Amino acid sequence: MSTAGLKAGAQVITGVVRRPRLSPAQIAIMVFFAVLIIAVLRVVTGAKDLASSGALAAAIGLAVPIGLAGLGGLWSERAGVVNIGLEGMMILGTWGAGFFGFHYGPWAGLLGAMFCGMIGGAIHAVATVVFGVDHIVSGVAINIIGLGAAKYLAARTFTGTPGGGPTQSPPLGELPTISIPGISPGLATLEKKQIFFVSDLASILGAFVTNLSILTLIALALVFMTWWVLWRTTFGLRLRSCGESPVAAETLGVNVYRYKFIAVLVSGAMAGLGGGYLALVAANIYRDGQTGGRGFIGLAAMIFGNWRPGGLVGGAALFGYTDAVQLRGGGSTVHALLLLLAVLVVAIGLWQILRRQRLIQGAVAIAAGAIVAGWFFVSETVSDEFTGMTPYVATLLVLALSSQRLRMPAADGQPYRKGEAG
Amino acid sequence: MRRMRVAAAMSVAALALAGCGSSTESTPGAGGASSSAKALKIGMAYDVGGRGDQSFNDAAAAGLDKAKKDLGVETKEATAVNGEPESAREERLQQLIDAGYKDVVAVGFAYAPSVKKVAAANPDAKISLIDSTDATGPNIVNLTFAEQQGSFLVGAAAALKSKTANIGFIGGVNTDLIKKFEAGYTAGAKAVKPAIKIQVKYLTQPPDFSGFGDPAKGKTAAEGMYQQGADVIYAAAGGSGGGLFTAATAAKKMAIGVDSDQALTAPPAARPYVITSMLKKVDVATFDFIKSLTEGKFVAGTKIYDLKANGVGYSTTGGQMDDIKAKLDAYKQQIIDGKIVVPAKP
Repeated sequence: MSTAGLKAGAQVITGVVRRPRLSPAQIAIMVFFAVLIIAVLRVVTGAKDLASSGALAAAIGLAVPIGLAGLGGLWSERAGVVNIGLEGMMILGTWGAGFFGFHYGPWAGLLGAMFCGMIGGAIHAVATVVFGVDHIVSGVAINIIGLGAAKYLAARTFTGTPGGGPTQSPPLGELPTISIPGISPGLATLEKKQIFFVSDLASILGAFVTNLSILTLIALALVFMTWWVLWRTTFGLRLRSCGESPVAAETLGVNVYRYKFIAVLVSGAMAGLGGGYLALVAANIYRDGQTGGRGFIGLAAMIFGNWRPGGLVGGAALFGYTDAVQLRGGGSTVHALLLLLAVLVVAIGLWQILRRQRLIQGAVAIAAGAIVAGWFFVSETVSDEFTGMTPYVATLLVLALSSQRLRMPAADGQPYRKGEAG
Repeated sequence: MRRMRVAAAMSVAALALAGCGSSTESTPGAGGASSSAKALKIGMAYDVGGRGDQSFNDAAAAGLDKAKKDLGVETKEATAVNGEPESAREERLQQLIDAGYKDVVAVGFAYAPSVKKVAAANPDAKISLIDSTDATGPNIVNLTFAEQQGSFLVGAAAALKSKTANIGFIGGVNTDLIKKFEAGYTAGAKAVKPAIKIQVKYLTQPPDFSGFGDPAKGKTAAEGMYQQGADVIYAAAGGSGGGLFTAATAAKKMAIGVDSDQALTAPPAARPYVITSMLKKVDVATFDFIKSLTEGKFVAGTKIYDLKANGVGYSTTGGQMDDIKAKLDAYKQQIIDGKIVVPAKP
């Protein structure tokens, strides 16, 4: 049955150009060059914070909640349900983490965050799967309900608590962090020596083995688990078939409603966990409005990653890194990134001219690169008004330059009623 | 189409979110001498964060609570929501007035445009606008603070306490108001050590006001400054300031609070690292306003709460200011005497 299902799914996507899948070796080479570029940039511009373990640890901290929200979006959209309510589910998660974390400890907070996010997911599932409400309408409603409910619940549960108030929870207990003894201090010493490339590599490794929150590891495990479940199990194949062609899945005996329902519930739990990360790890506190639109960024990261877990991690990491760099170093570090941008754009321009004979596109790119380079050499720093945009601009640029062949699940966002197959 | 859909949904969400402010009503304070049928009714419109932000709004709330207790006024409170449109603020003020709470305290400069309109439409309402002089009228009193003077003192304290001659400033949102804090802090630090290095970071740019409520961003910025050599950081960032305290505790370095005495409200583990707080006595201003109403002595116009009027200052909880108090008080006296003029713009 599952082979037949695969065929039915494949029929829908015939004619779509598949992007070549990267092998682990190719990914390793890409990482190597990324580190090399950062190392060169650090030495050339003297912006030390570009590759400090502190900046990378901060990047991980900012990327994880976005990645978890994106993972939530992935589950739901792979089953054909657009989930714009991720933000609302995240907000519910922050409250869940605050309430259960305060009363029963951080691990309970983690479960509470997932549970509260799942409630948001359940509402979305009932509305979209059972009642066939438009996915966007339901998602927007979840965002409003999530915000209102969290505000109300926070005022009811945190008022009068020690150190808490109507808009914030008392400080929450910390989840354990992991440092690998022996390696962490060694890498820190190596990083301080400022040796070209070696120190940069050491700081990257250092960020991953020093004071790493256990929840970060859980998030990484969830990314892997999502890939394995969705792409390597029968369950996953059936779930994805609901997103590609629910009618075909139905004719093959798949209970589409059930798979969609499960997917949206998991989606809510993941988004809620992202909110839980914000409250438990990033801030140690629940606070009104602390998600700050990260649910939407998570959705964007998922689209950026072409509805695949690996790409999603890339999107979240890019956003987290640029955000961390601009928050920590401000103008001077972002200024260094200008040089990188200039070189990249000029390189793309040359490639367009030399390899693809596209003179106009190439010339435009080179001119743009020259302007950015001019900006870099004329100024000392990027003014504060612009630094805040860095993560958004970076994400947009990468999206515009690299991935113009995104393919979402074929039946994503389309209403499905049982029995339509006739 | 898909990307458009995301953008559309986001803007719809932003609009819709603004619809759900919260409001709480309360009974007149028990035991207040004048809590009869004629008790004065005061409406209170908080800015984003609201009661419980342990900072600016809470200071206003403290003044209101005191008035309720001591003067026996009746109150009704409402809170702004992040990202709401201007009309929502207007409606909030108008709703308070329509509900009979016709004397209103508008907490925060963001209310200026709506106060202007609502005050003109309701000439018998008396409105106090905190932190802004952008709306004036015969029934508006502008309660402003010389934040730069208070910030000057904590800036001097930071420079005196810093061992690395490297200090930091975190602003929530890059607005003129928060720049007053930065200007004073910088001036104070340079008065002590002209060559001191000051790292400055604003978390968000207007109209994105999330920088006042995002502790994760505050923490990231603070960690960066500490790792780049700063050993004292002052945050004027509302709720994001909690992130500074988390970072300070982890790095075992010094932090300076803002608006109210945050060494009293920070998590217990962080309190030893909060060496002082810049006090902005919004509670005093709020209480004074309500008192002037109960006594029938309302005067429209601008009222500045500066060092001289004891409207700003610094806290000494924890005793870490004891060794430098004499120096700080000398600066304070010079500012009061006009020998030092603290700039309001960086």
